[in-house]
Amino acid sequence: MIATIPSATLLGVEGTPVAVEVHVSNGLPGFTVVGLPDASCRESRDRVRAALMSSGLTWPLKRVTVNLAPSSVRKGGAGLDLPIAVGLLVASDDLVGEAVAGCGFIGELGLDGSIRRVPGIVPLVAALSTRVVVVPPDCFAEASVVGRHKVRVAGSVKELLAALRGDAPWPDPPVAGPVPEPMPAPDLADVRGQAVGRTAIEVAAAGGHHLLLSGPPGAGKTMLARRLPGLLPALSGDDALTATRIHSAAGVALPPSGLVVQPPFRAPHHGASAVALIGGGTGFMRPGEISLSHAGVLFMDEMCEFPASVLDALRQPIEEGVVRVCRARATVSYPARFLLVGATNPCPCGDGGPGRPCRCPVAARQRYSRRLSGPLLDRFDLRVVVSRPDAMSVLGGPPGEASAPVADRVAAARELARERGVRCNAELPAPRLDVLAPMTPGAARVLEHRLRSGQLSARGVHRIRRVARTIADLAGAGGPVAEEHVCLALSLRAELAPAEAAA
Amino acid sequence: MSEVSVPPEGWAAALAGLPAMGPARLRAVLATWAPVAAWAHMLAGTACSRPAVALACRPDPAGLAAHWRVAARRTSIVDVWEAHHRRGITVSLPGGPGYPTELHLDTEPPAVLFSRGDPAALEGRRVAIVGSRRCTRYGRDVAYELGRDLAAAGVRVVSGLALGVDGAAHRGALAAGAAPPVAVVGSGLDVVYPPAHSALWEQVAGAGLLLSEAPLGARPEPWRFPVRNRVIAALAEVVVVVESSDKGGSRHTVEAAMARDRLVMAVPGSVRSPVSSYTNGLLADGCHPVRDALDVLVALGLSSAGGGAPVDRREAPGQEEAPVFDALGWEPATFDDLCARTGRSPGQVSVGLARLQAGGWVAERAGWWERITT
Repeated sequence: MIATIPSATLLGVEGTPVAVEVHVSNGLPGFTVVGLPDASCRESRDRVRAALMSSGLTWPLKRVTVNLAPSSVRKGGAGLDLPIAVGLLVASDDLVGEAVAGCGFIGELGLDGSIRRVPGIVPLVAALSTRVVVVPPDCFAEASVVGRHKVRVAGSVKELLAALRGDAPWPDPPVAGPVPEPMPAPDLADVRGQAVGRTAIEVAAAGGHHLLLSGPPGAGKTMLARRLPGLLPALSGDDALTATRIHSAAGVALPPSGLVVQPPFRAPHHGASAVALIGGGTGFMRPGEISLSHAGVLFMDEMCEFPASVLDALRQPIEEGVVRVCRARATVSYPARFLLVGATNPCPCGDGGPGRPCRCPVAARQRYSRRLSGPLLDRFDLRVVVSRPDAMSVLGGPPGEASAPVADRVAAARELARERGVRCNAELPAPRLDVLAPMTPGAARVLEHRLRSGQLSARGVHRIRRVARTIADLAGAGGPVAEEHVCLALSLRAELAPAEAAA
Repeated sequence: MSEVSVPPEGWAAALAGLPAMGPARLRAVLATWAPVAAWAHMLAGTACSRPAVALACRPDPAGLAAHWRVAARRTSIVDVWEAHHRRGITVSLPGGPGYPTELHLDTEPPAVLFSRGDPAALEGRRVAIVGSRRCTRYGRDVAYELGRDLAAAGVRVVSGLALGVDGAAHRGALAAGAAPPVAVVGSGLDVVYPPAHSALWEQVAGAGLLLSEAPLGARPEPWRFPVRNRVIAALAEVVVVVESSDKGGSRHTVEAAMARDRLVMAVPGSVRSPVSSYTNGLLADGCHPVRDALDVLVALGLSSAGGGAPVDRREAPGQEEAPVFDALGWEPATFDDLCARTGRSPGQVSVGLARLQAGGWVAERAGWWERITT
């Protein structure tokens, strides 16, 4: 007898449909899985057998062959356990074929017959074209995100069998417990003083401009960066679904609703390897931190402590918004359109700057600043040096403006960008800048002076104009970009080149 | 070429290139024997047979002699000599041609001097300009102007080719295109240090003279720099310190200069600037202040006029940017500092900075804004 059960496997952050074909025939008893299974997939033989026997079923003393079609695609993960078990039950006549018609199955089996969750439920379910999908109970919310299927849950093989045979109703999906109050996002009102830092994160949030904060320890770089996600608007349909797929594929906990709506904020430690940041891995390809922060913020604290090779690997994804990871077995591309926020000290001792009592040898400072290569530094539209706030504003100063009004301005500015046909001003195409970001004569004079004196390259001018556009949008000036906006854009882009350039 | 045709300078260069051969040991060896004879003692392993040499080779003279014996046997005198020739490097011994008289008469003369460039560059009045590698914009500007104006007046500017003040002084001297610059470096003449100054290094060698006490291939080890500083002090008639903190290397130059009765002058700096603490201390101790090149020329007896205020041709800052300019003062500050000091919005401050920059009043480096003098 033969049975074919629809299921899916992960390839990058996308699911690929897999037809699990089970053939049971007379012959020497045995159980083989073919069709490019990886190690965890091949081990499912033992799990399926134990799970079925623990559920009170008899193991057919026959020759069992499982084929995972299409056989050219490599399959990984334990999510194929459940379809294999169901296929086996149908093929050995424990279950009638009609009972599973139009049903897709995803789930890992425990030796006791329980059905367990697997990572990547969202993309896996999205890959299925059946009317009904059966998933483990705690994956109900995730599976429902896709919205095209009737989602059924089953906690064990016994429960599943009873429901499929019609002996018992389908188990109810788990009732979501009282949703814990989400931790209130840190608010900008906590930041006192720091006029420049506040302006910089507001501009970064509104225009999607990458931001580099430099300053001594205790200047508030991390504090500012952590308040950036609170300024970003909630994710819209497409972005939310993509972010959910990525988080699901990486096995990162999803919010109770199952859909990632808050812009993600990822802050990898500087010990992270290139693979952890970019994505990949030998056995099981996993999206990296840059993909997990897709449509959100990637915060790299102590950026100069990251190895230079890791940092330079960021350059291509920053430009393209996707990262293609090539391995001998497969090439996958992960979405990676993130807002990069870097924070760094000016030198290893943290107290560098002209005329500051820095204790570092010159060579050590140069080595430190060289970690940020010129091309990477160039991708930061906003480069800001923040100072320690003075005692007065920390102790007695009035609280700063709260996040809510700033977020409103950001949302309004992003809306203006959408009317121009881009997601944010950082994506404004250079040839259309004259139309989309016209300048007043005063603003043009400032830029011309910088160009003439060689302090700005042609590419730098485009970047300045995009940032100036964002600043003008935030100020509520929908019209041309004025001198003040260009000047502020220039001041927010400090030359953080290696300290000892020419005299 | 055979060993016989190599002059004594070649043998001395080979001696200087032996491992663990510092200036003091080399001086002891060459005070005891002529270079050729000294080399024979090296080969025989009897280098420390004389008390004077053994004293310089403490704590382990016998071990060092054995070490030198092994190294000397591996060295070909002809190769060493030709390596110098190939690179256009002259080797001079005290009293020989190309060896400056001031150094010959010095209390600690270099036993061997390596030079590259025009030896005539030393003929004339000489002023050393030294200071911190970690200088401010102000220090760099002053060093550049002093170098330029002194060189234009025909004075040889002596410095150390280091980052910061030294490099700025050399650049200034080169910009004048008059008197040739002189650089005394701490590493071997084939080891460019700091690498960032490789172009400047070549320019100085092309227009003036590069001097070193270190043999070819010598790394820029930290101990070589104080030793090098004494050569700068010995060569100069006046030592001008532009900017230096209390822990800076300029201290060694000043102490060496005072021990040799050279005139030490200092450029005043802000009393709050850590890199001016040493120079301001020198002034408090009675050193002559340097306001511009004229002060130095007066000290050299080349000009009798007092230093006058330079004419500033820049347009005064406008009413709008004046508060930002006042808030900046004379010390470097970040954009953030300026916003906090003026209490204005970043947008207003940035407009002020842009206008001041266009007017040539301020400059930005690595996120720090500084006031410019000329």
